[in-house]
Amino acid sequence: MRREFASRADLIAYVTQVFPGATGAVSETVGGRTVALEKLAALQPDRYGHSRNELEGAVTRLSPYIRHGVLTLAEVRDHLQAQGYAWAVVEPLLRQLAWRDYWQQLYEQWGDGIWDDREPYKTGFTAADYADELPQDIINGTTSLDCMDHFSRELQTTGYLHNHARLWLAAYIIHWRRVKWQAGARWFLSHLLDGDPASNQLSWQWVASTFSVKPYYFNQENLARFSRRKWCATCPHAAQTCPFRGSYEQLHKQLFPHAEASHSSRRLGTRR
Amino acid sequence: MPKQATPAVVWVHGDSLSPTNPALLANPGAPAVWVWDEELLAQWQISRKRIVFIYECLLELPVAIRRGKVVPEIRQFMQEHAAQTIVTTASPSPRFRAICQELSGSFTLEILPMPALIPPQKHLDLRRFSRYWKVAEKVIYPR
Repeated sequence: MRREFASRADLIAYVTQVFPGATGAVSETVGGRTVALEKLAALQPDRYGHSRNELEGAVTRLSPYIRHGVLTLAEVRDHLQAQGYAWAVVEPLLRQLAWRDYWQQLYEQWGDGIWDDREPYKTGFTAADYADELPQDIINGTTSLDCMDHFSRELQTTGYLHNHARLWLAAYIIHWRRVKWQAGARWFLSHLLDGDPASNQLSWQWVASTFSVKPYYFNQENLARFSRRKWCATCPHAAQTCPFRGSYEQLHKQLFPHAEASHSSRRLGTRR
Repeated sequence: MPKQATPAVVWVHGDSLSPTNPALLANPGAPAVWVWDEELLAQWQISRKRIVFIYECLLELPVAIRRGKVVPEIRQFMQEHAAQTIVTTASPSPRFRAICQELSGSFTLEILPMPALIPPQKHLDLRRFSRYWKVAEKVIYPR
């Protein structure tokens, strides 16, 4: 196949011609080691540690490069070490690198078993209670929930979602719409530039509670806080009809009426 | 003396798209190949943006780019270069394992490990991340 292209547009035209089955937008994120090294050099582990859960936080955007081995986890760690950062500064970032290593090690053991529920749901429901297919309004971005519709479009046009947005969207799909995590995982894998079977499927299982002690869910306050009210400020549902309104305890009762009462909820920054 | 008795070919796959991957580093100048796995692209419904991203990574690597079924494509590349040895890098993917098994029937296959984030541990409990992290945090950032 061709290796010489006059421009990115030229490459895109060629890919479109030779892979007619692959459709949709093209991301602004450019592949290759050159860009990966630029991003690595721009890393700010201290700012990352303080702001990574915020949508506008100083996230690294290294994940597509790490997923494809353009950069290795060890290289990122070695870079931090060479810069002489203290443990306290790099610990939050190293913990996220470790999550990837952890998923990869499980993949080594389980192989295609990462597609199977590793444990029963802890939601009071069984797998049979969840729908097999992703609802069309989620794919089309027409749920009328501004936040979720935005995440859907962002995923499909950029091939990227902030980690927190992934968790919110996954929780909405599994727990509010009661859809099997596998349907959501397939959708993400098709679009995410960093789509990796292990990290993707097992993170979905973490949200679903089929590989964790309880389901991950969130409320409006949490989403509003970490998105700086980006959608809630103008969303027509925000004041009354938002399905995410309420305390964690109230939402637990609504979402998981047959489950044991929740004693603590899972939020970013605590368990993950 | 050349390293291998017969010329080696490097097979690059989607988990190690760096010009510094161990297989490329160990075999400078060796013919190298990438194969777009059309079955996998269809099975995972890989979108155009993912293909463009990977293609851009490939353009920075010294590889011939092919498409189709992985094993027959590699086989043909081996014949074109009269090669008997394939060098590649490790991956946890079961599909990778199956391809390696098929290739190892006809060729000498050398699978080089990727640099590890933490050194190999005698006992690493993977039941939950917290258990893994208890061990990993002590060795992940040598001070």
